[in-house]
Parts: sequence; C-alpha cells; structure tokens
Amino acid sequence: MKMKFAPLLLGAVLATASMQAAAHFLLVYTPQTALLRGGADMPFNLIFTHAFNGGPSMEMAKPQKFYFAKQATPDEKSEITDLSSYLEPIQWQAQNGTVSAWRANIPRNVMRSAGDYQIVVEPEPFHEESEDIYIQQFSKVMVNIGGIPGNWDEALGLPGEIVALNKPYANWTGGVFRGVVLGDGKPVPFTQVEVEYLNHDLDLTNNRFAEASHIEAPHPALGAMVIKTDANGQFAFSLAKAGWWGFAALDIGPVKTFKERPLSQDGVLWVQATDLPK
Amino acid sequence: MKKLSTSLLLAAAAFLTSAAQAHTPLFDCFDNGDATLTCEGGFSDGASAAGVGVRMLDGQGKVLEQGKLDAKGAISFKRPKGEFSVVFDAGAEHTLTVLGDDIT
Repeated sequence: MKMKFAPLLLGAVLATASMQAAAHFLLVYTPQTALLRGGADMPFNLIFTHAFNGGPSMEMAKPQKFYFAKQATPDEKSEITDLSSYLEPIQWQAQNGTVSAWRANIPRNVMRSAGDYQIVVEPEPFHEESEDIYIQQFSKVMVNIGGIPGNWDEALGLPGEIVALNKPYANWTGGVFRGVVLGDGKPVPFTQVEVEYLNHDLDLTNNRFAEASHIEAPHPALGAMVIKTDANGQFAFSLAKAGWWGFAALDIGPVKTFKERPLSQDGVLWVQATDLPK
Repeated sequence: MKKLSTSLLLAAAAFLTSAAQAHTPLFDCFDNGDATLTCEGGFSDGASAAGVGVRMLDGQGKVLEQGKLDAKGAISFKRPKGEFSVVFDAGAEHTLTVLGDDIT
C-alpha cells in the first residue's frame, strides 16, 4: 500500500510543479516574419496559452485593440493602422474542449509596403481563477518586408512593453537576442522575464497545437525559463533553437487593480530564430 | 613629402566616406491592381532613399518614364505594356533593377 501510494504522490507533485512552472503567453503567431515581399494575405493567430507545453490554453475575449505601427518615412514616429475589423473568432482545441481564440488575415493591400511592422495586441484583462487575479499581456510581434528597416526599436508607449535591441525577425539560431523592459515607458531594473520556446507547432487546419514537441525539457527550469533584467532594464538571451521564442515581463504596468482584484500588466515580445542555411 | 601625406589623407578620407556608406540599397516594386505599380527603395541601415532617381525602361533600354523617390521612398508609375524594367539609381555601386515580369 505504502509503495503504491508513494509514486502516485510523486506524480501528483510533479504534475503540480509543471503546471506552476508554465507561464502564460499571449501568442501572436504568423508563420514567417522576415519576408522578401508582401505577396499574399498575412495570417495571424492570437491564442492565450502556455507556449512551451502547448497549453493549457485559456479563453480570450476580443482584444481591446489590434493594430500595426509603421513609419511612413524613415525619420518619423510610427503611424497606427487599426486591424481589429479583420479579427475573426475561432475555437482553439484545448485540454477540455475548446477555448475562444482569434484569427486575422490582413489583406495584401494593407500590408505589402516595404519596411517594419510592429503588430500589437492589447487584450482585455483575463481572470486567472486559480489565483483570483487578472492578467493583461500587451503583446508584440514584428514583420519586415523587403529588408528596409524601420521602427523595430521604437517604444510604442504600452503600459508594459518589451522593446527590441536586436531586430526580432533577424536572428540566426544561437544568436543573442537583447531587449529592454519598459513599464509605463521607463526601464524596469532587476525584473523577471519569462522565456519560453514555442514547443508545439500550430496546426492551423484543425486549430490546435500538434501533439509532438520539439524539446523534452529534462528539468522544469529548462522549459519555463526565467531570466532577469539588469540595472538598466535590459536582458540578453541566446536563441538555442530555430523557431519562436516568447519573452514575457510580468506585472510591470502602472495599473495594479481591475474589478477590485490584483491586475498584472505584462509586456510580451515574440522573436523568430532562423537556422543558418546548410 | 608634404604632397604624399595630403594624398594619403585624401585616400583615407575617401575610404572613410565609402565605409560610412557601406549600407546596402534595397528596391522592389509591386502591382497595385489598378494598372499602376509602386516602387519602394531604401537602405539596409534605415537611411532614407528620398530623392533617389528611378527610371522605367522598355525592352530596348529606352527611358519610358523617370522620377525621384518621394519622402516615403516610393514612386508610382502606370504599368506599360510589353517588356520593361525599373532601375533604382543611387550611384555607381548602388544601382538595382527590377524586371517587369517580376512585378506582381
């Protein structure tokens, strides 16, 4: 009896540990961020999930805002193009049934001009029932068309924001990505940044994550990774594998409560690593 | 001796200038779907290409139209019939050509 019980307990402990270790990430997914040309409609998927484990995925309300920021001329501040009219609700397969997520196909004539696009999602606060708190992740991904650089390093003034110090779409596998965490526009020193690899491919035909993972983490700390910013609010991280890496700086925004409960305003940035051609 | 150092200095200055312009020119065109096309140019370091000359040539190399990139680094043309190409001309090492057949 005792023998049987012990492995069960250990299993339960491990399951709990891995649940706690996994971090929330608002995934803003598009298959390719460094494009030679804007030849076709540009697809995006917005899924509130746990990136490394391919779930659990959470209900996601229609975002408050969905837009891109792009410079009209090289020396000017970015202009905002609202993309919310392209949002379509989808049902994303989750562990227990489905959850609401979003898809958007941005037409070619809206997103074909050369340069940098910062695509931004400003979501509704999400109620995390297990902790009885709200989470609001201001999430960005960047796309470049044609190689002409633009606003990839521009801070957009989000409540919580990770500003890139390397182009997020131009990273070889093994290269070092750097960023700076801004809360209410100011660098946040010595704050935690969660880092997760998008470990399960997206099956966009069936709206689910693939079962197979790319990496088996031998230890929880190697799945849901945590690094810290330095005294200047900056961090650096080596992108060990091609694909998508999510960076999330937690509870850095100025608003701390929502519906009389604690609110965590986070900044999320997605970075794509590309293998050197053989 | 003085002459030599002056020419050396000039050579160094010329080298520095070219090093400062080691950016790569970038240029491409797309079809607007309304019988016009738009061409956009820039440089890999983000420098503006405003004012750079752009020429549209027919299959024989005859200039059909020409103009300069605007503040956005863009210029639009009517799409000609037959073979053509568009040339971005920012100086000797910075000339790029896009063939009409590749403009979709």
